[in-house]
Amino acid sequence: MNGNAVVKGTSYVLVHAPDFVINNGTTQTVERIVNPDSDYLKSIHSSIRSYEEVLAYPPNQVYLGNLTPKDLEDYEFPWYDKEVADAKRFGKYGELIPEDEFIALMQICDAFDLLALEENFVSKAKEKLSKHPLINETMLSKLKDGQSLEAIKEYIDEYKAEPLYFNREIVGYVKRAHEIDDTLSAHVLLENLAYKASGVLALLHLINNSGIDREAIDYVIDCSEEACGDMNQRGGGNFAKAQAEVAGFVNATGSDTRSFCAGPAHAIIEASALVKSGAYENVVVFAGGTVAKLGMNGKDHVKKNIPILEDVMGGFAVLISKNDGVNPEINLDIIGRHNIGTGSSPQAVISSLVTDPLDRAGLKITDIDKFAAEMQNPDITKPAGAGDVPEANYKMIAALGVKRGDLERTDILNFVKNHGMKGWAPTQGHIPSGAPYIGFAREDILEGRIKKAMIIGKGSLFLGRMTNLFDGVSFVLQENSRESITEDTTRVIVKETIEPLIGIVAEDSELGKDNVLEAISLAENKGYRAVLIEGDEAHRKMDDMLRKKEIDAAVTMHYSFPIGVSTVGRVITPGRGKEMFIATTTGTSSTDRVEGMVKNAIYGIIAAKASGVKEPTIGIANIDGARQAEKALRELEQKGYDIKFAESARQEGGIVMRGNDLLAGSADVMVMDSLTGNLMMKLFSAYTTGGSYESTGYGYGPGIGEGYDKIVLIVSRASGAPVIAGAIEYATQLVKHNCLKVAGDEFAKANRAGLKQILEGLKDRKPVATDEEVKPPVKEIVTVEIPGIEIMDIEDAAKALWAEGIYAETGMGCTGPVVLVSEANISKSKEILSKAGFIK
Amino acid sequence: MDLENQKRVKEYAEQFGPENIVVLLGAAEGEAAGLAAETVTAGDPTFAGPLAGVSLGLKVYHICEPEIKAEIDEAVYDEQISMMEMVLDVDDIVNEMTAIREQYCKY
Repeated sequence: MNGNAVVKGTSYVLVHAPDFVINNGTTQTVERIVNPDSDYLKSIHSSIRSYEEVLAYPPNQVYLGNLTPKDLEDYEFPWYDKEVADAKRFGKYGELIPEDEFIALMQICDAFDLLALEENFVSKAKEKLSKHPLINETMLSKLKDGQSLEAIKEYIDEYKAEPLYFNREIVGYVKRAHEIDDTLSAHVLLENLAYKASGVLALLHLINNSGIDREAIDYVIDCSEEACGDMNQRGGGNFAKAQAEVAGFVNATGSDTRSFCAGPAHAIIEASALVKSGAYENVVVFAGGTVAKLGMNGKDHVKKNIPILEDVMGGFAVLISKNDGVNPEINLDIIGRHNIGTGSSPQAVISSLVTDPLDRAGLKITDIDKFAAEMQNPDITKPAGAGDVPEANYKMIAALGVKRGDLERTDILNFVKNHGMKGWAPTQGHIPSGAPYIGFAREDILEGRIKKAMIIGKGSLFLGRMTNLFDGVSFVLQENSRESITEDTTRVIVKETIEPLIGIVAEDSELGKDNVLEAISLAENKGYRAVLIEGDEAHRKMDDMLRKKEIDAAVTMHYSFPIGVSTVGRVITPGRGKEMFIATTTGTSSTDRVEGMVKNAIYGIIAAKASGVKEPTIGIANIDGARQAEKALRELEQKGYDIKFAESARQEGGIVMRGNDLLAGSADVMVMDSLTGNLMMKLFSAYTTGGSYESTGYGYGPGIGEGYDKIVLIVSRASGAPVIAGAIEYATQLVKHNCLKVAGDEFAKANRAGLKQILEGLKDRKPVATDEEVKPPVKEIVTVEIPGIEIMDIEDAAKALWAEGIYAETGMGCTGPVVLVSEANISKSKEILSKAGFIK
Repeated sequence: MDLENQKRVKEYAEQFGPENIVVLLGAAEGEAAGLAAETVTAGDPTFAGPLAGVSLGLKVYHICEPEIKAEIDEAVYDEQISMMEMVLDVDDIVNEMTAIREQYCKY
């Protein structure tokens, strides 16, 4: 039976780490002990590459996905003196993060107050990170205030903390977590925090690249060569959960898989088996990079007047999911494995990994289009005397093919060229081990360039001195075999052809239950599917069903969206009978009016695109703040975010829309604040009925906001059956066009164009007299709403409760902004808020 | 050659007498084979290990050299080595090894 798991997405990241090369790579630290006055140590500084040089280095651009492995063949070897002309920090798979931002990310990943930073450094790094498209406010808030350089240096001297450097200057330290325990020494913790941060970066990019909801990840497997624990459990482990926690995978558990460089291949086979068995649906296999290996071959490079090329840490992540009938499958029937009895000669190893599994499947070596074993960059290994590792692997596979009669001896070089690739991965052990090709293999297969790829992981177990054994496993990634589908996958594919299921909660309808049932029947007549969710705790049930994916989206009459989320309504304009999106209609995008309108424009674009409007035009309603919003949107457009501005139908034109334009629907998306939008919705929906019954359009629409991961649409208590049916249709389109992915993509594009800086520039910075840092108390479940607080004061109200030790969150209730607290704290909270004047 | 291996070679030479030792290499190319051969004859050229400044002058061969191939059962050689023999630049390795032996081998 074929229920093979599929590779649904990948990410690849690099960390520029020159100061870690100098101070923390083991080749350098050992040299400093053994030979402190060596010429090598003296010449290191002049052999370090700048960020720009590392970025333009052709193999790195391949790793990030800006070039393909095939493109690399066009660069004449060696590559260290070649440059990619238009090298980019961000590629389709990930990014090359600069060292200062990375050090700040290490602090974000530090859960035990182990890492301290110098004050100027941290404020600059924070500024830079705040522009990062994938680092959110919650993560940024983990950056601590810096210390003076003097205090940092004093601490390092006194407590043997491990210094952190940037641009060759001390900018912080990692301290030890125990006085005696070597496994918790500053040295080990620095390596582990750097490892953790690079793995987290890979996870963030995976979520962005694959468009999966981070809450949908069930299991994570870390497959690196690092270890964490204390002296009583040196390899205690579960780096995986530590990293997934920072990345916000709240519904995932996980574990670590280790086998030196073979770890990733083992982990992917394990993940595929977990998914195929049905134990989990979405499993992420990932790893960050290794500090110790930085500059490993530095002596050889320097000796040959080559810059130190091992100046980046690597990271990657692979999403393994239930068969979707589209993505490439991991064929668990063709697994190669190096057994304990196999022996260690290269011939025995390659036979066990390559030809034995192919024999079992009745395939020839030439049936595999591409092989990926150890994809080390030969630019790094050749000067160090280790040869061209990928080429050696391909030659070995070809030679075995010759011995078996699959190809002629004279074909060896052709085989290497056609079935192999030039290596592009940094020499970070587990990083180059087969894994770097998975992203390209997925695309090559999806786009029909190849049908089968074999990924091979090999590991040198003897390095741990516990066995002389070698290790390795391999698996085959192949085109999705839709036609040979059996039960399991049929279900998956059939599900795609069935309309999404929309849940409806309409307890408060002023028009009664019959009105809702009529709406469902109207929708079903058009081929849509909806289910009524009833009972005392209908909203909780709805949330539950959304989480468990029992329904794909929900339509309800009120919902507490967090601040930052607001809804995009959709109406039929009376002038021309044209559809128009009103952005936005309920909820609050921002407590700042103009910022809110700019965000509303993006929310509107998302809703329109996710409803099938390919290039929606944007107009701004002629209300207070329209001109400032226009200015900001034009700036965003100039900086690279694609916006199509609408033109007013009035003689003077422009993107600011008059009342007539609203009636005519001159723009696909009409931008306004949510209170005005709400008013418009009621007018557009009920102008034919006198007001008590909303008879036309699609309702107030889905809540949209950065990072918001549910599709919940709002209708009103006065929405008649045709409007609720319209909302079901709207919801169905949003699910089919993958609204959450569209939202993720649009936010990423807007952020790359500098959305956050533009918004920052908009605000008149208010004096922050009362802005002493109030930290929230321990988080608890908050279910009770306190309404009646001014929108501008809502955050301060929550902070006033925090200051009194009460945990509170803010949100939008059905009547306006609310503070949410636990039931136990309700009366005390009201008392505090009343005393402080937030409520009457 | 890594430090642990240098230590083992040195100890065996002391234990069994250098004239009774043959060092067999499996390096993947000429330069690496040559460096290892130099280490067990002239001494560690990187001056990092136990053989730094110690010229043992041992007999040293690569597994793909004809002298060694002739010593091994043909079937075993075919099963264990023939694939790598096809992959490696055997001529380059033989040249490197011969040069080192001529220069430094004492036995």
